[in-house]
Amino acid sequence: MLDLFFAELKRSWILLSRYATETIGGIIATTFVFYGLFLSSRYIAGPGIALGDRLDSVIVGYILWTLMLFIMGDVAGGLQDEARTGTLEQMFLTPYGAARVFVIRAIGSLSIQLTLNVVIVVAIMLITGSNLAFPPTLVPPFITALLGAYGLAFTVGSLTLVFKQVRQVQSILQFGLLLLLAAPTETWTGSLRLVGWLMPIAPGAGLLRDVMARGLELDGMRMAIASLNGLFYFTMGVFLFGWAERLTKRQGRLGGY
Amino acid sequence: MSILEAYHLHKNYRLKGKILAAVQDVSLKIDGNEVLAFLGANGAGKTTTIKMIAGLILPDQGSVRIDGRDPHSDPWALRSLGAVLEGTRNTYWRLTPEENLEYFGVLRGLTRTVARRRTLELLDRFELTHKRREMVQTLSRGMQQKLAIAVALIHDPQLLLLDEPTLGLDVEATENVKTIIREVAAEGRAILLTTHQLDIAEELSNRVAIIQNGAIAIEQPTADLIRQFSGTAYTIELACSLDGDRLSKVEALGGVVKSNKIYVREPEIVYEVLAILKPLPLIKVEQDQASLTEIFLQVTQKVNASSIHHA
Repeated sequence: MLDLFFAELKRSWILLSRYATETIGGIIATTFVFYGLFLSSRYIAGPGIALGDRLDSVIVGYILWTLMLFIMGDVAGGLQDEARTGTLEQMFLTPYGAARVFVIRAIGSLSIQLTLNVVIVVAIMLITGSNLAFPPTLVPPFITALLGAYGLAFTVGSLTLVFKQVRQVQSILQFGLLLLLAAPTETWTGSLRLVGWLMPIAPGAGLLRDVMARGLELDGMRMAIASLNGLFYFTMGVFLFGWAERLTKRQGRLGGY
Repeated sequence: MSILEAYHLHKNYRLKGKILAAVQDVSLKIDGNEVLAFLGANGAGKTTTIKMIAGLILPDQGSVRIDGRDPHSDPWALRSLGAVLEGTRNTYWRLTPEENLEYFGVLRGLTRTVARRRTLELLDRFELTHKRREMVQTLSRGMQQKLAIAVALIHDPQLLLLDEPTLGLDVEATENVKTIIREVAAEGRAILLTTHQLDIAEELSNRVAIIQNGAIAIEQPTADLIRQFSGTAYTIELACSLDGDRLSKVEALGGVVKSNKIYVREPEIVYEVLAILKPLPLIKVEQDQASLTEIFLQVTQKVNASSIHHA
């Protein structure tokens, strides 16, 4: 299994480095889009208003959003590309099982993407003067957010296998993700709080804002909820992927596009 | 036990409310060292059958065993299977041949060390070493196809499925692929070959199965099939014209003479005719043999006629 992980990591790295211009362009564009948003919001707020931890919260949300978009594009977009270029069926001729290969591939390419995201975070912090904290406690909520994101990505991947063309769903989901990541669910009360707990990624994103932007300690209860949330969506995504695989094999449409 | 055993495969598709019987009761067996040419017109059910064998399409009924394992319930059955599928690239065009081989080796269950060793062996064997660091998209179609076969062999599978492996290749590349198929079969592997180039099927296969309207119309060893469909007549070709005396003697035996060729219907009188011709120089003596193309057309037209009759 470790061999498969390194093979996927190498494949992702080769493809990324072979198209280095695209990669560097992506980093610059992501950073400048945020800087544009930052300047606009500062203009609207006026010069006398300090954004403080709100700016840090927005940065956390924005970085998470770009990472989630990458995950979505990597899994669902990757499946569409494989189907279009005609390598998808070869991917299913593996003794490891397709779902496992796609999960390992996702982890491999995420490792590289995380490195790129560090570059973007540092660039944004430098140009906005943000003071984000990076305590070790950010790791558990970050993992729960990733699990939720992969759960959604595999759900969209399942739709890709079944319907082949899901660009519209992906576009809509981009904005849905923004809502999930930007909504301050950790401040919601009453029945809304329950809704916040059930929304994918949101509990983990809320904890990340607490830890990175507000300098708070991890709340054990909310961490447990975020963990259950992440595990639920991840399991659901992988289960749906297996279901979609069986359905398309029954319909004889696995390799079609 | 055969390397491939497929029994009573059935597959129906629903198209606009109608049920299309794509494959009906297809059974196939292939042993090691054997090439089975699986022939059929477009839409006859070849690709559906191949994909059911590879575990890419679930059969409605029937079972598949590759080296004793069912690819639909035991993914490790795929460890014994390599496939070059038609109409797809089979490899990553943005990677080099070396990178493709190493990646697919691990994907098929090899360790990285073994995948690396097999990659070097196959690059050398398929004469791709000098192109190992060039992106696949820049290679010729022939080289891309050789690489696709090498990738299918990276994990040393017992069964190789080749769906139209010579499609779109020039003469030289086709000859290369034919040589590879012969060598790979001689190593003890079972090969299922589909092709529309029937001369290639005739040349390479030990057995032929013809599928028509989703069902196997005929399955026999290639040599037996050709013998069965061949006539008993002989053609004798001479290097010179026949003189009047010999001409009348040959015609008296029932031979038909046209220019420098003599056609003899009964094999028993061939030696009598040859005795008359002696010592004239001969170019060749051959039995009239049906080609696989003629057999294929006869079989498929017969099946079509009978299905129209039954309808």
